[in-house]
Amino acid sequence: MLQSRLNWFWLTLPWLFIFGLFWLFPVVYSLLLGFTNYRLLESGFDWIGLANYGRLIADPLFISSLKNTAIFVVGTIPATTVLSLIMALLVNRKFKGRAIFRSGFFLPSITSMVVIALIFTNLLQRGGYVALLTEMIGLNTPENGFLLDSSTALLSIMAMDVWMSVGYYMLIFLAGLKAIPEELYEAAEISGAGPFRKFFSITLPLLRPVMLFIVVVNSIKSFQVFVEIFVMTSGKFDTSTMVYFIYSTGLTTHFDLGYASAAAYTLFLIILAFSLVQFFLIRRKEAIW
Amino acid sequence: MVARVLKRSAHYSVLGLILVVMVFPLLWMFRVALLPSGSSLSLSSLFAGVITLANFSDLFQFNRMGLFLFNSIFVGLVVTLSNILFCFMVAYALSRYRMIANKIVFGSIVGVLMIPAHIIIIPLYLICLKSGIYDSYFALILPWLVNPIGVFLVKQYLESLPPTLEEAARVDGASEMTIIFRIVMPLCKPALSVLAIQVFFTNWNSFMFPYILTQSESVRTLPVALALFQGHQAIDWQHLMAGSTLAVIPILLIFLIMQRQIVSGITAGAVKQ
Repeated sequence: MLQSRLNWFWLTLPWLFIFGLFWLFPVVYSLLLGFTNYRLLESGFDWIGLANYGRLIADPLFISSLKNTAIFVVGTIPATTVLSLIMALLVNRKFKGRAIFRSGFFLPSITSMVVIALIFTNLLQRGGYVALLTEMIGLNTPENGFLLDSSTALLSIMAMDVWMSVGYYMLIFLAGLKAIPEELYEAAEISGAGPFRKFFSITLPLLRPVMLFIVVVNSIKSFQVFVEIFVMTSGKFDTSTMVYFIYSTGLTTHFDLGYASAAAYTLFLIILAFSLVQFFLIRRKEAIW
Repeated sequence: MVARVLKRSAHYSVLGLILVVMVFPLLWMFRVALLPSGSSLSLSSLFAGVITLANFSDLFQFNRMGLFLFNSIFVGLVVTLSNILFCFMVAYALSRYRMIANKIVFGSIVGVLMIPAHIIIIPLYLICLKSGIYDSYFALILPWLVNPIGVFLVKQYLESLPPTLEEAARVDGASEMTIIFRIVMPLCKPALSVLAIQVFFTNWNSFMFPYILTQSESVRTLPVALALFQGHQAIDWQHLMAGSTLAVIPILLIFLIMQRQIVSGITAGAVKQ
């Protein structure tokens, strides 16, 4: 018994060490930092209670970062979910060359975000391929390129994000589609159901758990969008997001670490509330079933 | 008959259109990487036959690309190997020992899965700064030695594995070390290879933490170097895309060879019917 306790201990030790030092401690540390006016370049600090949080609410840059993050989440998630479901349905049945399409669709999601952001910085610039395309169709094209214009910069980055992640969620939808028993469709066909009826009465309801999973995962990821903002616009042209705000206040110019920690905790609480709501929605739906 | 042919060609043209949209940016990257520096990026020059590898050799000669590649590979391999070992060890302890403390450890794993990583940006930066590991390989490696998703994955696999072999070995008098590392660990190879790919990909592509936790060129990884090329140095698109190509090719090769493991790793957590 003692021997197995000892074994258990050293086997879990690596995790306990990493967890304590790089997760538990930082989470507590940043909560406390959020109540101070600690700056890296100044010696000493004061406990200032909730003053950082009051300052956040009055900070126009923070409010616009909050707004942009909300736009990003609300805008990309429905688009990504619907498009990836359509793509999954298109490659679900067996046909020649299916593997090529699947792999091709999936390719952007394993590529480095920095690389994707660099490629699109060029494609979206003045005279770039996207501008050529929109001019050809007769759409309104910003004069300085899509990323140097407040009305299109965030939207372009959102579109790129959708483009990048649809292949990943398509794979998850495909796994969900595979789990639907074939007999259901056969029974529906016997009773004379057409393809639309089959989709709305069988496929869609049975995919609901997978869809909820996708929405949860994708929204937590989208709340934290940073790399593409850093590379493509550096937060200019009304594209600053929450994590970009945390980075730029905490780790550039003033190194305002206390203030940035308060912003980080605000985002943490928003994500937590969001996840809890979704968690209970999933729970309730399962109970009804 | 005619209707079927029509339907099929409509299906293929929709798919073809999506495929073009999905792969064009990457193909563009490969093509621009091979264009001579200073040449135009217009459509006609993309299709003109000029091809050169000069951009790549320039990067190694003038932009320390060899160093960045080495850093990415070195950090990626160390983190991947340590995750294979440590995730397995923790998963083994959780699935094979009956301890009350299992609940605490498992709770901590689920907890970290639910904590968004942005919350540790500022404190991790400070911890690295104060402990002196800022701007060193340690800052790139230590925090990621073991990850909760990996433990989860291996634990799930171990629980589907009947302990008969271990019990037989125990009866034969094998030591616990032999059982854990010589008998059970090799049996977990399918789960561990999925884990290895996931960890390596994430690490290879990771930008935010390597960027925040380092500043000198000597420990810069490839994605960080690429992002900073664009920001701080006058470098043309041909060279930038050549560097990007170097960042994509290893991932692409692994993907082509181990597609099945990659897909099963992605869908493992999502669908549990």
